[in-house]
Amino acid sequence: MSEQVRLRGGEPGLAAPTVPGASRPVSPRRRGPLGWVDVRGRRLGSWAFILNRLTGLGVLLYLYLHLVILSQLARGPAAWDSFVSLALSPAFLLLDVVLLFGLLAHGLNGIRVTLVGFGLVIDRQKAMFAAFMVLGALVLLVGALRIFTTG
Amino acid sequence: MAARIERSRAGGATWTPSAEAERPTWGWIWQAVSGALVLGLVTLHMIANHFVVKQGLRDFQDVVAYLSNPVILVLEVLFLFVVSWHGLLGLRAVIFDFGFSPRTERRITRVLIVAWVLTVLYGLWLTSTVIGYK
Repeated sequence: MSEQVRLRGGEPGLAAPTVPGASRPVSPRRRGPLGWVDVRGRRLGSWAFILNRLTGLGVLLYLYLHLVILSQLARGPAAWDSFVSLALSPAFLLLDVVLLFGLLAHGLNGIRVTLVGFGLVIDRQKAMFAAFMVLGALVLLVGALRIFTTG
Repeated sequence: MAARIERSRAGGATWTPSAEAERPTWGWIWQAVSGALVLGLVTLHMIANHFVVKQGLRDFQDVVAYLSNPVILVLEVLFLFVVSWHGLLGLRAVIFDFGFSPRTERRITRVLIVAWVLTVLYGLWLTSTVIGYK
């Protein structure tokens, strides 16, 4: 029994259509980033791949925003404490929930991709993806409640 | 680039070493290893900096006190190294999806390594500046 798994520049093969002897999943879709927006023949694995790419880019963007904002610390107590009061506004708290979503979706899906990449649980990928996303939704719910209720 | 995974006779999974494209790339392995580290460190970071802190964010004095704890300092600096590495390596994978020549790919890799070094240096400068307020 063998299964095709894309390691880089493609989708991890969540039941990707394969032909015996073919070196890659058979798909009418475009390759490369343009293929991400091409919905023909999409399977769950494709959506998981896109989710991982988009949340990864989003979280990377956040990382650099975060590092830039932290430079307020170098400017001393007044600068930092005025940022803190801004960050406690409801609009910022909503962005925190978006961030938490990105971290959970990317981190939990990353566990699945890593396990599959090392050849583990390859025949239970859909169930694993679903389980991780349910877990992520629960943590997101609890986290969002905490974010909006702690004062 | 595809990699074939097969179940070995012993029941575990192994990489088939036959074809050129069928090995995991060094980038992928580093991504998995750094990803595992980030998973632990980001969880710690979020809990320690936000979920156990009153109002979810420390004021200046508390930030200085927090970073002055040597264990915290080591963990946060490690997080800085690993998370920026993981993020830029991921960006590299996304850029490589556009299908550049090997020469351009090497150039992109060099630029991203420089970006990583600059990010880490900035983070270290900022950390030492904050601790300097103690």
